[in-house]
Amino acid sequence: MKWNKTITLLMAGTMAISTMTGCGAKENLTETTQTSAVSQSPGTNEESGEGEKIVDLEVWNTNIGFLEVKKDGPLYNLYKDMFGVGIIQPYVEWNGGTTYQEQLNLKIAAGEMPDMFLPVNGMEVDLAKNGALLDLTDILPEKAPHLWESIPQESWDVIRSYDPSGEGRIYMIPTVIDYPLMCGLIRQDWLDKLGLSIPETQEEFVEVLRAFKNQDPNGNGQTDEVPTGGRQEARWMDHLFAMYGIAIWEGYPQWDVYDGEMTYAGVTPNMKDALLFIRGLYEEGLIDAETLLNDKAGWEGKINSDRVGVYYHWAQSSYEYATTMFNSIGVKPEWVVLPPVSAAGYKGFYTEKKVKGIQWVIKNTTDQEKIDACMKVLDAYGNPDLREQFFLGVVGEHSAMVDGKLKRLPDDKKTMENLVFQPGNDISTVESIVALLESVKSEDIAWAFDQSIANVKSMPQYGKIIAGDGIPNSVYDGYPDIMNRTLYVEYASKIITGEYPIDKFDEFVDKWYASGGEAVTRAAQEWYAKTQN
Amino acid sequence: MAKKNKAAANEIKLPKSRTSLIHNIKKYWPYYLMVLPGVIFFLVFKYIPMLGSVIAFQDYSVFKGIFDSTWVGLKHFKALLTYPDFRRIFSNTLILGLCKTVLIFPIPVILSLMLNEVRNLKLKKAIQTAVYIPYFLSWVIVGGLIFDIFGVGGLFNNIRNFFGLNTLLAMQKESWFRPIYVVSSIWKDAGWGTVVYLAAISGIDLSLYESAAIDGASRLKRMRYITFPLLVPTILTLFLLSIGSFLELGFEQVFNLLTPMTYSVGDVFDTYVYRVGIQQAQYSFTTAVGLFQSTIGLVLVVTFNKLANKFSDDGGLW
Repeated sequence: MKWNKTITLLMAGTMAISTMTGCGAKENLTETTQTSAVSQSPGTNEESGEGEKIVDLEVWNTNIGFLEVKKDGPLYNLYKDMFGVGIIQPYVEWNGGTTYQEQLNLKIAAGEMPDMFLPVNGMEVDLAKNGALLDLTDILPEKAPHLWESIPQESWDVIRSYDPSGEGRIYMIPTVIDYPLMCGLIRQDWLDKLGLSIPETQEEFVEVLRAFKNQDPNGNGQTDEVPTGGRQEARWMDHLFAMYGIAIWEGYPQWDVYDGEMTYAGVTPNMKDALLFIRGLYEEGLIDAETLLNDKAGWEGKINSDRVGVYYHWAQSSYEYATTMFNSIGVKPEWVVLPPVSAAGYKGFYTEKKVKGIQWVIKNTTDQEKIDACMKVLDAYGNPDLREQFFLGVVGEHSAMVDGKLKRLPDDKKTMENLVFQPGNDISTVESIVALLESVKSEDIAWAFDQSIANVKSMPQYGKIIAGDGIPNSVYDGYPDIMNRTLYVEYASKIITGEYPIDKFDEFVDKWYASGGEAVTRAAQEWYAKTQN
Repeated sequence: MAKKNKAAANEIKLPKSRTSLIHNIKKYWPYYLMVLPGVIFFLVFKYIPMLGSVIAFQDYSVFKGIFDSTWVGLKHFKALLTYPDFRRIFSNTLILGLCKTVLIFPIPVILSLMLNEVRNLKLKKAIQTAVYIPYFLSWVIVGGLIFDIFGVGGLFNNIRNFFGLNTLLAMQKESWFRPIYVVSSIWKDAGWGTVVYLAAISGIDLSLYESAAIDGASRLKRMRYITFPLLVPTILTLFLLSIGSFLELGFEQVFNLLTPMTYSVGDVFDTYVYRVGIQQAQYSFTTAVGLFQSTIGLVLVVTFNKLANKFSDDGGLW
């Protein structure tokens, strides 16, 4: 047993060395493609065949490992046929948004801002302030009516409030979702096996975790189960915080009204109680001991190897986890939504935001051709009729004919280009998501898709729209550490692992307010007062 | 005639030196040609970018550029000194810098002295190769390996469990951060650090050893009285070079070993600059931090250079 581990480690070492060479090669690849994309992007190219001018746009957004979108590649041609604009996307490592942000900042600093991109971590505020973004207020209703209509007016009003000059201009395209996106997901099949039912109170929840830990629900004879857990920086374990009525989004505390005042959820007594509770779970071994060290791959690896009882993620994508587990180890898990549990004295809920974030901004330019091309893209992106085509991607690459119907193929990062536009994820309602899932489900994976569909349908009742929905990142202006929640993560992590006594939480609150929290809170309250009028 | 010329030369010095420089260049042009690429390299990649440091005194905006950004004087330096966690970052940097100088720096010296005593050439080569290899792994990989070794089910915890101790996640313990930093540095870089020393040792005149051996000096004594003293100038040079980057600890290593639980002991200038500067695009502020670091580095180099000159005749860099 011990030797096995040592040998595994040695092998990991060798593998690490071989991957290193792999990484190096990939880096080179990225570099060359980036430069080539840059050299291509500013140009407009004469299409010799049709004699029609195709404008190429460089578009940046999340790519978690799929292929880049190259000029004249299959996806480039699909988009060109759909809306007459060429889309190019170099490969930019996402890495939880960190590397993406870094690369994007470098590009912007070098004066090579992409034509259209997903801004992260509030960078859009500064860009808008500096006049680097295209003012969409007047052209959007005229030139991209589909998008203009597919996003509700209230959401546009929120976006107007983001204008740093206070003039209510629109510089950003939001992501709008009309139901709470994320929730705890629990293994119904494990519950059935152990003769338990979905926990309704906190005590029941803890009992279920204990049963998962001790009664070997995966039946491999080992106590290797991880009842629940999350990822580093106290992320992706919101279901535990949700029990205390905490507004939280992927581990980022949000703004909500506590005691009649707009407050950062991270510094509320609710948070103190939640941390105390989670600390208890940690001590008892009911959450993954490595919770605060897990990266994305590490945590998903545990979930998908039939060891985790409850995880927190998007309700709609439970099928991805289910199929991954089935394909790798042949176990068919049943992931169902864990309705929010309430701790004693609190009302639990899953945080819901109508405006989830900013999806797109457009580079400011006077080049009319470019502007028109961007508008064509946005109009198509907001067109409900094209949504399925966006989702299905290139036939033969992202989708294939199954029983006379086009079906999306399982993700394969080695062969598929990154689907740049996924309006189904960005502008969605329960109905649109269900329709999308229905349209792609095929017989052999129907079991997993049906779980996702049921999960999405059950979500609306569990959400609460928080008062801080749509708060602009500009409230953090000048306080990067507050926005990064650096202090919060440090104290929360240490309290959970037992390094700090819970009383340290009060010290954290004082420090938070003193190091800029006060000013940020004032800005947030001012914004809230304005939206109430 | 000659006298007159001399007087004229005394009156106007500049033309003379100029002519002599031109004369010099004409005479030795191949040498000047050879030095040209080096000079251009330093001008283009080192000196011209240095001018960009002026953004430390501006509210730099990438859209306005260096020339149109507003001047704010010492605002960013003040912000740095009044930053709530400045003391923490500064002391973390100092402590790790001290670890680097006191604990990590001497290891390659000791290692090369030891390697030099290995008489079996094959064994020596094998050891050398083995200690070089880690240097070629990037910190991302070494960081990953370290996290695995100290994780649940990793080597470290298997050994602990074998001796009946509890599983301990060292990577999230403050007290373990610095030891891990030191040991991982040594593991990765010490072998490579021996290259220069071994080269210096191989340059030592063999007759010194022979005569010492004839006089009956033991191997230990030969090491102590011949090898080591002759290695001192090399050690001093390398020491002065490393002291100049005292506050620059190597971003990659610290960053790849850091977790939020160890911020309080491991957050250093480099990681802070990355978080705020590169990620949040606050270029002015982080340039100010960079200038601050470099200034301290410069002061340290000058001081230690003086000390080195005092210590031995031409021990300093200049």
